[in-house]
Amino acid sequence: MLSDYAIEIEDIVKKFGNFTAVNGVSLGIKGGEIFGLLGPNGAGKSTTINMLLGLLAPTAGRIHINGVDMLREPEKAKGQIGIVTQETVVEPDLTAEDNLMIFGRLYQIPENELQKGIEFALELSDLKGFRKSYAGTFSGGMKRRLETAKALMHAPKILLLDEPTTGLDVQNRSQIWELLRKINKEQGVTILMTTQYLEEADQLCNRIGIIDHGKLIALGTPAELRQKIGMSTVLEVEAERESLPKVEQIFRKLGMEPKISGNKVIAPAGAKPVERVEKVLQLLSAGRIDVHNVNMHEPTIDDVFLKLTGSAVRDQTGDYQGGRQGMMMGRGR
Amino acid sequence: MGLLEDTYTLFLRDILIFKKNLGVNVVRSLIFPLIFIILLGAFGSTPKNVPIAIVNYDNGPAALQFINMLQSGNSLQVVSVTTQQEAMSMLSKGSVAAVVVIPQGFSNAQLPKPNVYVYLDNSQPQSATIAAEVVNQAAAQLGAQASSGAMPGSTTLSHPVPVITNYAYGASSNYESFVVGGLVIMVAAFGSVFSSGFTVISDRELGNLKAFLTTPINKFSILLSKIGYGTVQSLFSAYIGLVIGLLLGATIAAGVVGLLELIWIVFLVGLGFSSLSIALAVRTKQLQTYALVAQTIVMPTAFLGGAFVPTTLLPKVLQSVAVVNPLTYAVNAVRDIMIKGSLPLSDLVLDSAVLLVFAGVMVAVAFVLFRNTSEQLS
Repeated sequence: MLSDYAIEIEDIVKKFGNFTAVNGVSLGIKGGEIFGLLGPNGAGKSTTINMLLGLLAPTAGRIHINGVDMLREPEKAKGQIGIVTQETVVEPDLTAEDNLMIFGRLYQIPENELQKGIEFALELSDLKGFRKSYAGTFSGGMKRRLETAKALMHAPKILLLDEPTTGLDVQNRSQIWELLRKINKEQGVTILMTTQYLEEADQLCNRIGIIDHGKLIALGTPAELRQKIGMSTVLEVEAERESLPKVEQIFRKLGMEPKISGNKVIAPAGAKPVERVEKVLQLLSAGRIDVHNVNMHEPTIDDVFLKLTGSAVRDQTGDYQGGRQGMMMGRGR
Repeated sequence: MGLLEDTYTLFLRDILIFKKNLGVNVVRSLIFPLIFIILLGAFGSTPKNVPIAIVNYDNGPAALQFINMLQSGNSLQVVSVTTQQEAMSMLSKGSVAAVVVIPQGFSNAQLPKPNVYVYLDNSQPQSATIAAEVVNQAAAQLGAQASSGAMPGSTTLSHPVPVITNYAYGASSNYESFVVGGLVIMVAAFGSVFSSGFTVISDRELGNLKAFLTTPINKFSILLSKIGYGTVQSLFSAYIGLVIGLLLGATIAAGVVGLLELIWIVFLVGLGFSSLSIALAVRTKQLQTYALVAQTIVMPTAFLGGAFVPTTLLPKVLQSVAVVNPLTYAVNAVRDIMIKGSLPLSDLVLDSAVLLVFAGVMVAVAFVLFRNTSEQLS
């Protein structure tokens, strides 16, 4: 049973004083899986991750990493994981090579294999030409790649990423995605990641868990989750603002319940989406209404998330967390 | 694998970062000592109530008058002692800045006039200078009064009073050595406080501590590496301060052995203050707060430790603070080494013992606080 899972979390609880941040989460992540952990800020996501990283000790429950008990043998368990944290922690005053050397040593890579590990990481992050350059001179994307490669130097079987692409531009983000897919496919590395970008989870992850109020409220493949909340295909028509009411009328005529969002009219397409689209197109051309775009798509994880947690992911940034940090500081004094 | 290897790795990291910014670091370490030596050298203060001991072997009226003259201003604070031996031991302990010996026959009008002997503790140059000045003035005055017949009918002197001045320690000592002795200890304390505790906070702010704690290391290697780094920084700052001091005229009376003893004393100061700074840092979130608190602690501690003004010149209340201040012993030891030279080993052992206890207690405090707060370090 234990060996089936790369990461096994059994009923973990974490309390800070009277505040319960994580309230009984159980989760098994299979070897070779890319798993996304989602949740609004303050939902217990970061606390869960910090327990998996061995930074926080759970108040109750067990964590096994590749069958190693995180509480009993923290050092051995930590050695199984590569970690990319939310903050980019490459040291600006060290060269790319020295950054890797320090962490290679901390990850207990033997002296005679250290150079090999450094070369591997430089190759992986595409920074071979910058080995002697100080990391402070790197772009955000280069730092992030160095960071990710640093986490893979000791050839871990599990990679844990806490919001790996937050703050990166589109190009850098897709480079990181590519890197993650590559190591997952070629080296069979199990990946557990948290993210604020739902489309990222949707595209990258085999399975997704949604955490809210310290509990796991949904678990499954992206498709399963969409099915679970019973949303059908979505129909979108994009047009000039003055044309939107006319488009809305057409939707209603066909028995749909449209909503206007920005310069789009959006509605669930119902049981026979293709027929609906044909009719919409016919009526649009009959009425000589100019539109920019007609689009039909599966509901996104955004839609799922909104329905399950009642909040958009990026709403209420930091409020809840601020409260908890305040408490932790209070404990510290 | 081991605690020591991980400690070395983290220490190496701090040193590499230090090396990257070596130029800035050296300049920063240079400015402080230079300013202090120059400022303090230019404006030597004029102390009051300098303690001196008087051994009166005469007890005649002239002797009493002489003592009264010494006491008349508020420059000196006179202690009467019965034997010269006792007085000299007070001098070597530093509890008085000068010993004045009034010989038998001082009050007799006969010739030749016996010499008044003055022994000065030149490891306290400001105090010693004042004491010598007042004694010489009084002697001149007494002689002048006698020869002009200001006190007719008395059996007082009819000749000037000869004063022979001796220095307690080697003639090489000077004001620079005095200032540099205090300075070395102060920059050593600052050196560790502004490196070990400082980097604990900045590393936490940047997420580095979190990153270290997620690696398979013993978390105490973080603590040990920071203590080690701070101690090395103490030695570095003290070295720079000493080199500047030597270039500006200070000397080390104890020679090469003295240099080794200096390193040992600075090492203990660095160890203690690094640990103290880490104990502060694990409880402080912001760098600004930390800098303020650290400065508020180190500056007065160095001052009350006699880094610039001998502790014997401090007000009574502050003198008792100086007794429990570890830097008092460090400054003492360094001055002994630099000015007195051939110091008794027992003195060095006492100073070392006090500093060792201080360092030991601070390491223990840092250890406990680090252990208790390590969940919040990330």
